[in-house]
Amino acid sequence: MIQVNNLRKSFGSREILKGISFEVAPQTILGVIGASGSGKTTLLRCLNGLETISGGTVSCQGVQLQANLSATEYKRRVRALRLKVGTVFQHFYLFPHLSVLGNIIEAPVHVLRSAKKTAEAEAYELLESVGLKQAARQYPGTLSGGEQQRVAIARALAMHPALLLLDEPTSALDPRRMASLRGLLRGFAAKGHTMIIISHSIGFLGGVSDSLLYMENGFVVEHGPTEQVLNTPKDARVKEFIAQAE
Amino acid sequence: MEGLTNALNVHDAFLSVKRNRCLLPLTDSLQSTEPPISSKYFRIGTIYVYLWRLLIPRGHGSHAFEPNRSTMERQLTGIYLKAFCILILLSLISSNVVAQKTLRWGADPSGGAPYVYTDPANPDRYIGYEKEMVDALAAAMGRQPEFVPSDWETLVSALQRQSFDVIVNGLEPTGDRAQQIAFSNPYYVFQLQLTVRRDDDRIHSLDDCKKRIVGTLGNTAASRLLEQQNIPYKSYQDPVGAYRDLELKRIDAVVMDVPAEAFYARDNPRLKQAGPPFSRGVYVIGLRKGDVALKAEVDKAIESIIVDGSLERILTKWKLWNEAQVEFHASVKTKTPPGVPFEMTNSSFNWLEALRRLSKAAAITVLLALGSMVIAVVLGLPLAVGQWNGPRWLRVFCTIYVEFFRGTPVLVQLLFLYFGLPVIGIAMPGWLTALVGLGLNYAAYESQVYRAALEAIPNGQWEASYSLGMSPLLAFRRVILPQAFRIALPPMTNDFVSLFKDTSVAFAISVWELATAYRELANASGQFLLLGVTVSLFYLAMSLPMSQVARMLEERLSRRATERIEDVEVMA
Repeated sequence: MIQVNNLRKSFGSREILKGISFEVAPQTILGVIGASGSGKTTLLRCLNGLETISGGTVSCQGVQLQANLSATEYKRRVRALRLKVGTVFQHFYLFPHLSVLGNIIEAPVHVLRSAKKTAEAEAYELLESVGLKQAARQYPGTLSGGEQQRVAIARALAMHPALLLLDEPTSALDPRRMASLRGLLRGFAAKGHTMIIISHSIGFLGGVSDSLLYMENGFVVEHGPTEQVLNTPKDARVKEFIAQAE
Repeated sequence: MEGLTNALNVHDAFLSVKRNRCLLPLTDSLQSTEPPISSKYFRIGTIYVYLWRLLIPRGHGSHAFEPNRSTMERQLTGIYLKAFCILILLSLISSNVVAQKTLRWGADPSGGAPYVYTDPANPDRYIGYEKEMVDALAAAMGRQPEFVPSDWETLVSALQRQSFDVIVNGLEPTGDRAQQIAFSNPYYVFQLQLTVRRDDDRIHSLDDCKKRIVGTLGNTAASRLLEQQNIPYKSYQDPVGAYRDLELKRIDAVVMDVPAEAFYARDNPRLKQAGPPFSRGVYVIGLRKGDVALKAEVDKAIESIIVDGSLERILTKWKLWNEAQVEFHASVKTKTPPGVPFEMTNSSFNWLEALRRLSKAAAITVLLALGSMVIAVVLGLPLAVGQWNGPRWLRVFCTIYVEFFRGTPVLVQLLFLYFGLPVIGIAMPGWLTALVGLGLNYAAYESQVYRAALEAIPNGQWEASYSLGMSPLLAFRRVILPQAFRIALPPMTNDFVSLFKDTSVAFAISVWELATAYRELANASGQFLLLGVTVSLFYLAMSLPMSQVARMLEERLSRRATERIEDVEVMA
């Protein structure tokens, strides 16, 4: 679904990503873990084109980003990539001036040019699947953090992305809500969605992701099936991280 | 000595100009009350003695509080103070010993030729036929003439506030003025002259002007005549502006008293006279109602300068001697009533008419404010975006624009647009100038409101939009702008109310809005207080609903954000 090959990103002389390579199989969930400052969020921002990559490639369903493109060509490819990659931000960034329904149909209507009726029908389905159908006409300011997150997920899914990125989805949730989010995301994976989830929380990722990628200092330290990374990590740093988390 | 007196006169004139601007009638009357000469000397003497006494006791130990002060220092201070006192004394003597009774006369010298105006060759001096006439009158009265430059529209109130003692400024007697001030006997018979552009062959008399706009001076015989005949007119502060607008085709004709017409228009190759002079009237000197003795003195002086021929000489010199004057002087000399009946233009104040004209002015004020705001709101956006996120050259341009329009007074900008732009061939009518000028000015303010609002939108809103596949333009239009608008709304409505009041500067370019209406109606009638209250009520009646609408709009927008689900269901 997405192939990342030797991805590099530097800000000035500071290199944040130092050659990241991995691949995510369709209909699976990849969890990315690592300490703060390991480059997780930068990685995510490279995958949806919010940061310009400095080296290597990112390809998703025939769209390939690489560093040595002309500015216009790069922009064109970033826009194409963004139609394939949806993002749920850590702080959601819902549009406060639009209702929940408005938030969800905004991009389908104005970017994909879907008919408003179709977009609304689909938005109601998505809201139902995240359990917020009754809040369709409310404004984001009146929702709780967890509700806002589910609206943000519905908003991203309304664009039918091939891949969904979630940045720290657990940061605003209590344990009970975490469990319900886990169920929700597993459900979407079962329906055929592919996801990359960035999180500090090994507990959450362990329960939801098919494979785990451990990052440190801009490198991929370990990448493998969740069970294997959690139970028999090869690298001492991963071991230590897991031990600390428990 | 004459140089000194002149300098002092100029200085006094300067003071009285400043005094005219002063709104406190109390200080005014205090400053201008002239004590008799003897009391002046008494006053000077007292000051001197008082100052001297201040110095004398210094050596006698009365300074117990300053024991450390050296004798040397005390002596030096004493010398300085004495020198200072002597200087004051000398200056007082020099200005008072030669003083005789003055004749303080007020007139508007700006665009005041040939009555009284600044000598182009010597800007410190005023010249004009009335200046020379007042000199002759004062000589006949044994007084020292003292010119107090003033403003035509406020001459009557300035006279009542004792800024000067007589008005000599081509003043015609009218019923309204007669209620406020007294008049001398006439000293000049004027006529009106219609002027049009040289290439204009549509207008030959006032009758051809029924559907055209005629320019004239405000609150004059000419303006009252136009009003009576229902001819649309535009009033100006000075003849220069009227004739220039005629050339610029902002108006179709100008009616002016012959003296002004002769000076400003007759030799202009682009203008021509339309028909012969018409509608005789007289100029008189205006006095305060109580000054009966002064009126007798002035009347006697007028008669004497007519009889001894000195007025004829002055008028001949200024090319104002004509048939009408010949008849008039003959009648004065033979003490027969003037053979020619003078048509006295008259208009008396009518509240119904005043309210009608105020309503019209209010409508113009509202249209002006709305129009300017539309320009400001629309133009402010590209300015804000340019300054906020444009390429370097655009940022620089927008910043210069904003700083220019915020950093210079809107009045100056309007004057520039109205008087300056015609030089490069752009002559807009007054209302359009005001509309565009205020719009351009407020665009600078709106752009800053927008910019602040745009900058207040978190970056995450952009990123969320981008990650949904929106282009920057779409994100701006659908996501950023609506949120910024909500933030900008309160300061925008604030600006709008303030713009609404700022329309009053349009009076400077003769747009008939509320402030102009107040000034002209009040000056014509003397009803400053009542009309002032009325005009304020007009402003309030318009600005209060505006603030109310703004508040409702704000509430509606902010309620949305916190709307509860129950309300929504009721609505749906």
